Amino acid sequence: MSEPILSVSDLAVEFDTYGGTVQAVRGVSFDVAPGKTLAIVGESGCGKSVTVQSIMGLIPIPPGRITAGTAMMNGVNIIGRKTVNGEDIRGGQIGMIFQDPMTSLNPTMNIGNQIAETLIVHRGYSKRKAFNRAIELLDLTKIPEPEKRAKQYPFEFSGGMLQRAMIAMAIACEPQVLIADEPTTALDVTIQAQILDLLADLQRETNMAIILITHDLGVVARMADEVLVMYAGQMVEHGGVDDIFYNSGHPYTMGLRAAMPTNQPGIDARLTPIDGSPPDLFHPPAGCGYCARCPHAMQICVDNPPPTYTLGERHETRCWLHHPDNNTQVEGINKAVGSSP
Amino acid sequence: MLKYAFKRIVQGLITVWFIATATFFAMHAVPGDPLSGDKALSDKTRANLEAKYGLDKPLMTQYGIYLANIAKGDFGISFTQENRKVNDIIREHFPVSATLGILAILFAGAGGILWGALTALYRNRLPDTIIMFLVILGISVPSFVVAAIGQLSLVNINDLAGVSLLPIGGWGTVWHMIVPSMVLGLGTMAYLTRLMRSSMLEIISSDFVRTAKAKGVPPTQIFTRHQLRNAILPVITVLGPSIAGITTGGFVVEIIFAIPGLGRYFVQAVQQLDYTVIMGTTVFFGAFLVFMVILVDIIYGYVDPRVRLE
Repeated sequence: MSEPILSVSDLAVEFDTYGGTVQAVRGVSFDVAPGKTLAIVGESGCGKSVTVQSIMGLIPIPPGRITAGTAMMNGVNIIGRKTVNGEDIRGGQIGMIFQDPMTSLNPTMNIGNQIAETLIVHRGYSKRKAFNRAIELLDLTKIPEPEKRAKQYPFEFSGGMLQRAMIAMAIACEPQVLIADEPTTALDVTIQAQILDLLADLQRETNMAIILITHDLGVVARMADEVLVMYAGQMVEHGGVDDIFYNSGHPYTMGLRAAMPTNQPGIDARLTPIDGSPPDLFHPPAGCGYCARCPHAMQICVDNPPPTYTLGERHETRCWLHHPDNNTQVEGINKAVGSSP
Repeated sequence: MLKYAFKRIVQGLITVWFIATATFFAMHAVPGDPLSGDKALSDKTRANLEAKYGLDKPLMTQYGIYLANIAKGDFGISFTQENRKVNDIIREHFPVSATLGILAILFAGAGGILWGALTALYRNRLPDTIIMFLVILGISVPSFVVAAIGQLSLVNINDLAGVSLLPIGGWGTVWHMIVPSMVLGLGTMAYLTRLMRSSMLEIISSDFVRTAKAKGVPPTQIFTRHQLRNAILPVITVLGPSIAGITTGGFVVEIIFAIPGLGRYFVQAVQQLDYTVIMGTTVFFGAFLVFMVILVDIIYGYVDPRVRLE
């Protein structure tokens, strides 16, 4: 693994609401290297989007609050900062694309100007130069007739085309990191594949790091080098994509895999859901967040938060099953080689 | 675009015809006529006068004559003001009303957009609370009360200053126009403020503003290029109909500030059943409003590309 370009550690985010304080993210760490893709997976409300939005400075403060953690980029903690080494972070060093391209673009500004805006802000281009570059970027993201398309408005584009335009906008300043927050969730399956191919091509050409948020494990298998599985605002498992799929160390990861449709429909073709619902983050559980739904839960899981166990090189999990004193052997879960509490 | 404008103008003409027809029959349904004034007329005089003005003809024939005259742009001669053509009344007094109305609309539009955007940016903080309190006052207090209070305060201010800073009534210079147009626009401004505030609040939390932030666009540019431009759309939508509100409010303000506008003639004409003046002013105001609404719709097309028509 080469030197990481972005390295987040112990990030914690809270939101004040009428019902109390929600601890949306409770100590998340990860890093991502140039040319690599990190997938963050987990169900709705587990803190995936809040994690990346706090890095981008997009969470509203108040009611939001980043209570702890750092995000190091080129040797500088970028949380709460506007620039790193004199260069703008948002839009310049880190680009971001969003879930719903239909609502993520300004309806009253033409596509070309929206892309050009990034270049005018960060590169100080003239309006004309930026617009011409925007046309090139549209061409780069494989939009046909870019000169004509640049003068059109979002309502004249299809969903897939808009997402391409979003990507063009995000990569306009050649960022070192691209954050894609569920980029294909709102698109139909064939368009999804095209968008993912486009991201992979661009990554090969520019060697940028991609942080991909998704809850589609099919997308993970196709795109990711490493996977961070989140549950209730915490990391539950982190590892290479093969480790996560073939060598899972956490019952939640196994649950996600069991809930995935396969290519071999048999007589017993029903999917296995994970029963129950995520814990209330107003009052996070004292022990492991997953214990209420975990088929292998023990008393210790209810009372004490599990430490992080290392299962292999860059493969770690947070589960009491890996404690050396645990004699229960759960099918599919390998015992830890060491621990780092 | 031209085709669209043409279509709207044809629709507008139909609306004006409808206004003329409704006014004509409503006016004739009211008991009495222009001749049943304070002086009692002998039967002979009455019959002569009726014949002269064509009031002895069947209603439908009168209606036909009126329509034909209106189509020629001739509104006839006033019944109560000797030998005064309705066209002359309009030509003399309408520019005054129009100036007042346009100033009021500009004041209301600019103020509404500004205050609405401010309250949204400062939502739930002190400036928001204060402005929204004033807005509720502005919406609920009718314009004749605001006009009277405005005039009274003007008197007091002039009195305190010892010189006449602004005239308290009449018409002629720019200084005469300031207070009446503010008074006239106040209610609409309050309404537009509320509208702009809610529209702006919706835009502030929208996805494309988040995108703009993620692009690193500075807050002032996000405000002008992304938020304001989109939040303004509903305000423009209601600008057309609110011109109607301003015009009707204008009658009262004109009387209180002694402004020689068309409103006074309109009200007088209705009281005296001056058929030609009622018809003339109503049809003219109706046409003016329809034209303004069409104009607003065309402007809307320029601001919002989604309704730009090929």
